[in-house]
Amino acid sequence: MGVDVVLQAFLGVLTSGSVMFVFIGVLLGLCFGMIPGLGGTTALALLIPITFSMESLDAMYLAGGVMGATSFGGSITAILLNTPGTAPNAATTFDGYPMAQQGRAGQAIGASATASAMGGLLGLFTLILFIPLAKEIVLLFGPVEFLLLTVLGLVAIAVSSRGKLLRGLIAGGFGLMFAFVGVDTISGATRFTLDTDYLWDGIPLVPTLTGLFAISQMIELALKGGSVVSSNTTIASISGIWQGAAAVFKHWTVMVRGSVIGTIIGAIPGLGGTVASFIAYTSTVQSSRDPSSFGKGNIVGVIAPESANNAKDGGSLVPTVAFGIPGSAETAVFLGILVLHGIEPGPSLLLQNEREIYGLIVALTLSAVGASVIGLLTARWLVRITFVNVNILVPLVVTISLTGVYVLQGKPGDVLLALIMGIFGYLMIRFDYPRLTLVIALVLGETAERSFHQSLLISDQNLVGLIMDRPQAIILVLATLLTLMLPALRKRAKKPT
Amino acid sequence: MSKRILASLSLAAAMFVGVGSAAADWPEKPIKFVVPYSTGGGFDVYVRAVAPEMEKILGVEVVPENIPGAGGQKGAATVYRSAPDGYTIGIFNVPGLTVPQMLGKKVSYNLEDTTWIGNLAKSTYAIAVKADSPINSLADLCALGRPAKLSDTGPSSTSSVTAKIAMSLIDCPIQNVTGYKGSSQTIIAVMRGEVDATLKPISSLRKYVASGDMKFIVTFENKASLEGVPSSRDLGHDAFEKLTLYRIVGAPPGLPKEIADKLSDALMRAANSPAVQEWSKKTKKPLDPIDGEAATVLMKDLSDFYTKYKSILAN
Repeated sequence: MGVDVVLQAFLGVLTSGSVMFVFIGVLLGLCFGMIPGLGGTTALALLIPITFSMESLDAMYLAGGVMGATSFGGSITAILLNTPGTAPNAATTFDGYPMAQQGRAGQAIGASATASAMGGLLGLFTLILFIPLAKEIVLLFGPVEFLLLTVLGLVAIAVSSRGKLLRGLIAGGFGLMFAFVGVDTISGATRFTLDTDYLWDGIPLVPTLTGLFAISQMIELALKGGSVVSSNTTIASISGIWQGAAAVFKHWTVMVRGSVIGTIIGAIPGLGGTVASFIAYTSTVQSSRDPSSFGKGNIVGVIAPESANNAKDGGSLVPTVAFGIPGSAETAVFLGILVLHGIEPGPSLLLQNEREIYGLIVALTLSAVGASVIGLLTARWLVRITFVNVNILVPLVVTISLTGVYVLQGKPGDVLLALIMGIFGYLMIRFDYPRLTLVIALVLGETAERSFHQSLLISDQNLVGLIMDRPQAIILVLATLLTLMLPALRKRAKKPT
Repeated sequence: MSKRILASLSLAAAMFVGVGSAAADWPEKPIKFVVPYSTGGGFDVYVRAVAPEMEKILGVEVVPENIPGAGGQKGAATVYRSAPDGYTIGIFNVPGLTVPQMLGKKVSYNLEDTTWIGNLAKSTYAIAVKADSPINSLADLCALGRPAKLSDTGPSSTSSVTAKIAMSLIDCPIQNVTGYKGSSQTIIAVMRGEVDATLKPISSLRKYVASGDMKFIVTFENKASLEGVPSSRDLGHDAFEKLTLYRIVGAPPGLPKEIADKLSDALMRAANSPAVQEWSKKTKKPLDPIDGEAATVLMKDLSDFYTKYKSILAN
């Protein structure tokens, strides 16, 4: 039944001039995604006043266009400059950037574009299938499940820092420390705020990420000189782009797994794309027969996170259609747009506003495909960024990303934080500490602590009893144990041969 | 040196004179309307509904600006610290902002000398439980043989404060489970069954009751407005009806009375305009326009009321 409505919605947008709004959204999304510090949330927030005077369906098309295109846009910067354009692209830098350094940037972008489109489509397909069950799915995840998911994420940190376990744990520890800054939502106490109200709401993610990745990488590049790719590297022929695209279908299991992980984690409010793509990446490394090839330009390391971070858009709409609550920062702004159009998000959002919701889904679908097509067609020119001299590149990226950080909330403190994190991030590069581990811990830390307290309050301090009562919680415990033991099990399995 | 002091003194004098004439000519430039929460929230939609009408009345732009953070305190502090020239006003959450100040927490605003422009709306609270819950009344909720668990966003949120005061008045033991992100999440927590009930404005709960997921057990008002749901007055708890969420508009302290009156008048005319009234009806967002003078009395009254419960709120 849902399928008819979707088909109708497709015909609706394609036969009207409104498809223009999707296209404008895609272009905006690509640009905002590519620029570190800016992202889908900023783009949507800036668009809100404009959508006020638009028809509500057109506003949905515009928002969907933006949301579907940002994460692919962000992967371009991640691959070419080792700087994720948006937070969920952070895991793409691991293998994307080494590929660019080897002159295989075209291949990496081709893979990212195709994986993004396929991931986006799979995520939305799953969403449409599961819309009738959306309510039940959201009700499955309470504080205990949130807690266990964050534990799973933290365990993935330990597992992912192969051979650098101690460094990984130290970086993760810093992330957790940063996560505890601000007002504690359980006790109401302010912690580590240095007596400034800037830190009341904690350490914000976007400036931290921009500093740790963009600014630090620019410091590194500036000190090194030259350009990303040294001029004597052989430039891969343009056919690399299509090779990259083909690789996604060759490694279709990776793409499907990434999409499934992205959809599931996307559906859980508060975790989001950064965690989704990180877990997709680590699980791919873990199940690979040749884990040591990752981090050195393995194309599979681009496919996994990029399929996950586009699939999460579909997943993040599950709580939205079920209860009218946001599953991600972007859906939160999107709900804000609905409110301004006099639509009250709530449990009957889908029933009363089918037109808008399906309009958004259609726009997201068109956007996922459209952004990738644009990416595949323009990759040959984008790749040239890696040959630009750092004397031009560095000031440009630093200025644009710091402007982006300022625009999001208009707080000068954010710019200062980005600079401090930039220096911190550079030190981490110098001394070989994993930066993404810190970010993941920062994202997970707040949820982990909050849901731990809530679980204790709910269960009257009997956490174990609460877990044993809930099958979905037991499954998560088992998944965590499996993640921890898999490397050891594999080693044993290998020995006899 | 002395020359510089003289220069700044004369500049200050010039500005003083400037203020004097400004009151008569006000308004000459766009007015900033601070919303201390994000776009799309309850406070935001009210401001965005009245701003266009105020624009028509005053003849200058009225621009909503969202300054979220620290539970609305950041936005309140921004308004409080602005120049009292009538070009910065803001919407305040009461008692959400009253309580931290009363408890002596470090805040960068002072509701006692803030200039009050008027009240836009008040939201009546209600307690709701899961639709199929065995709990059918306030008495049931208090007779569980253990503290009733109530879900909330933060310990100093307006609804959390209300729950603490109300339940202590009737000696009903409660356990606040806080940390949920946003009021919809606190309602879903009840539906998942991890808590027994939640106290929220009727306007937030209504849609979940309509969808068959939740049921009301009591409303905090003097006359039952929902069919089949007793009001707190019906149950004999008269003090509950004072526990209401106000969306009140204020300006920096020391705003000239002439300007404050003009602002208050514009706000009242905007709130009573057909466009805003129609919006209120369509979106079921109640309006209770109260002018600046009445709002000032109300704020004094509320401050005294909440001070009575200081000891309950302090722990």
